[in-house]
Amino acid sequence: MIDRRQCLGGLGLAGLTAAGALAGLPSVAFAAAETDHRLVVVLLRGAMDGLSAAPPFGDPDYERARTGLALPPPGAAGGALDLDGHFGLNPALARLHARYGRGELAVFHAIASPYRDRSHFDGQNLLETGSTRPYGLADGWLNRALEGLPGSAREGRKELGVALAPAMPLMLRGPAAVTSWSPSVLPGPSPDLVARVKRLYAQTDPKLLAALTSAAEANAAASGMAPGGAGGDAFVALMTAAARFLADPDGPCVAMVDSAGWDTHANQVGPYGVLHRNLLALDAGLEALAAGLGPRWPQTAVLVMTEFGRTVAMNGTAGSDHGTAGAAFLVGGAVAGGRVVADWPGLKPAGLYAGRDLAPTADLRSLLKAALRDHMGVDPGHIERTVFPGGGEARAFDALFRRA
Amino acid sequence: MSLELAAIAANRFGLGARPGDLAAIAGDPRGWLLAQLRPETGLPATLRALPSTAQAAGEFTRWLTSIGLTGKAGKAGEAVALSRDARKPDAMAVTTDGGQPLSVEKSYVRYFWPAYAAGVEARFQTGVASERPFFERLSRFWANHFTVSAAKADIIALTPLFERDVVRAHVCGRFEDMLLASCHHPAMLIYLDNYLSIGPRSFLAGHPGFLPPYLRERMKGLNENLGREILELHTLGVRSGYTQADVTTLSKIITGWSVHGPRDMPPGGPVFHFINAAHEPGAQTLLGRIYEAQGEEQGVSALTDLARHPATARHLATKLARSFIADDPPPAAVDRIAAAFQRSGGDLVQTATALVESPEAWTPRPAKIKPPEDYLLSTVRALGGPPLSGLQLIALLDRMGQRPFWAPGPDGWPDVEDSWIGADAVWKRVEWASTLAGGYAAANIDPARIADAALGPQLGETTRQAIRGADSPAQGLALFLVSAEFQRR
Repeated sequence: MIDRRQCLGGLGLAGLTAAGALAGLPSVAFAAAETDHRLVVVLLRGAMDGLSAAPPFGDPDYERARTGLALPPPGAAGGALDLDGHFGLNPALARLHARYGRGELAVFHAIASPYRDRSHFDGQNLLETGSTRPYGLADGWLNRALEGLPGSAREGRKELGVALAPAMPLMLRGPAAVTSWSPSVLPGPSPDLVARVKRLYAQTDPKLLAALTSAAEANAAASGMAPGGAGGDAFVALMTAAARFLADPDGPCVAMVDSAGWDTHANQVGPYGVLHRNLLALDAGLEALAAGLGPRWPQTAVLVMTEFGRTVAMNGTAGSDHGTAGAAFLVGGAVAGGRVVADWPGLKPAGLYAGRDLAPTADLRSLLKAALRDHMGVDPGHIERTVFPGGGEARAFDALFRRA
Repeated sequence: MSLELAAIAANRFGLGARPGDLAAIAGDPRGWLLAQLRPETGLPATLRALPSTAQAAGEFTRWLTSIGLTGKAGKAGEAVALSRDARKPDAMAVTTDGGQPLSVEKSYVRYFWPAYAAGVEARFQTGVASERPFFERLSRFWANHFTVSAAKADIIALTPLFERDVVRAHVCGRFEDMLLASCHHPAMLIYLDNYLSIGPRSFLAGHPGFLPPYLRERMKGLNENLGREILELHTLGVRSGYTQADVTTLSKIITGWSVHGPRDMPPGGPVFHFINAAHEPGAQTLLGRIYEAQGEEQGVSALTDLARHPATARHLATKLARSFIADDPPPAAVDRIAAAFQRSGGDLVQTATALVESPEAWTPRPAKIKPPEDYLLSTVRALGGPPLSGLQLIALLDRMGQRPFWAPGPDGWPDVEDSWIGADAVWKRVEWASTLAGGYAAANIDPARIADAALGPQLGETTRQAIRGADSPAQGLALFLVSAEFQRR
């Protein structure tokens, strides 16, 4: 386990300076070379149980605090996969675990957005808008971040971002040009009809025009993609499609993929439980993305996050209820991984948030800011002013990427 | 006579005009809407043909039994998890199909899909044929407010029945009755887990031996899911001042609100079963008020008070105005609707009347985009066809992002434009319009007349010319269907 304070290194010193001034240096230096970088954001809706995804099996209170939910220790049947002797990964994440061994995965724990209540919808809203309060902003942080990409990354790209979803997620809504795509079963309309509809929209409805223009291009880019199946297969299909978009040198450099169904109030445990199935799909989806990106993978980072964690104790229905802090993953060829970043608060009753949840000791925005600044070369001033306004207390993590 | 107001009434408040509708209602568009606000005397035949809630409530267990998981109802979730992992090596073959083993997933689909598709089709056909489209829109609004989603596999057979038996029965009644009906219906109790929730100091918590073995692991204590969503989604609304303690308290108050298993259910129902042994004993304090009553009555009192709370009035008025008027609801309209709700003690006819009487709702410029299902409905109403089967509807609406009875979470489908007109969503509508119009290639149709009948004065000159300038009537029809005027309302 790497202590967050060690990891943050110069935090105390940087804290004495004007926000962003020091932090801005590395990205300015690297800005010109950011064109090839790719960022994928995977949002696990419903609140993934971080204590099951990345179990702290080395915590002396783990088994007692999580009676009924705790995984066996590494080595035992169905046991956690060891990361650093203290934290492990759920055995359903076997291929992700292998990436940890190759230094491509950093695991973050006891991490949370600034949201401290337990509504999914407010929690997701805040995580998607980047505001400090629910509904404080009308568009998404990821879209606003695109406007701060260096010129070299924007050049030649019509759209900077793509959502693999039939409905545009809030995180990617906003002023920057983005597109969306999902599999279809119907035959495509004739080019003549599309041209006529475009002309009609040009005179009557700019919003529909922008959507249609963008879709026509996304569709051309995605031509030949197979429609996905149900459940885990659908997520794998979306991640495969994301890779297809990001592999195109003139295509978007940022993708967002949604995954729903993480709200495990009941029947969470066991090899046939909901969580196990979700984690298997996540693991398979990340592999499909890596395979699809091929030579781009070394320039790729994937953020996997969720709106909040779940209660430490099992609830009355073999599941867990809405909690506070949880786990997040940063995986990719560009990641300086092979470590767990956590300022671990422990699972003793007195140390729990509100007496029931894993206490938050790190801010998700620190991770998001680091990815934008050090991986995508977004101007730090833009990050502070526009991407996460009012979020100055969450300082970007340092040294999460191989090049930064 | 106003064709313009008639078009607003039919399209913004309704499910889209059929040929002849606009002329028929132009004499008194407001009166046409208000006349629809009376309870149903009988269900439409399409919905009457669906099974009863009591019949459907045991289907999931019966399916488990049929695939050999008898007596393992507690393993329902496992079976469903299996059903989604059917191609995994550990998936089991559960039954035979002409001698061939069938995976759990295929078995689930085979068992439930016909009924699910029938529910989807019945709901759609009810909308297509309705003479009271405003009543239908309100039903859909309240069904979305009290979302139960077949995304939870256990309740797939129940979701169409919840809308029919809970929502339609009260859409022209009182809100508190709809709330209570929702909290008594097996679809809601199972969807949000309350049927398994037991009070920490209840008899069953102290005597788990009284539970069948397969339920002991699943019924160990409190589950906050329904209690939280009642406060956050169904009544007061999020950030209206309640606390985590209120969530826990309400969850305790409704412990014991559960369902009969198929074997102990009285013939014909009710499915709802109050289990006193699971109920948390003692008085409870919710939002500063003490609830002394014991048993089920405690929950009825608390829910009734929540239904009458001023925060509930504002929350519901805001959602109604957002759904029918604009994504950013005009404050004056919200005030008016909330006041009508509060003044009338939650009478939903008075509340809907205040909506109709809001001048903000009658602005000529359309402010809302039709969500996919309403878009398809208005298409079929305008064209008088094509006939769409339940399976076709499921496939179409799934690709448009709105698989029926399958909202992504308990907060239901989004009700703002940006959720529905992303690039992919608009493309899917063009695909659909093109495919549909292709089916009319050989038909003798006049797309400009169809457009006029559906939109009246709302059809703009630019669009009319584009339709007239199309290279074929079918292409003109496609242009009408994707026009901004027809996609918005």
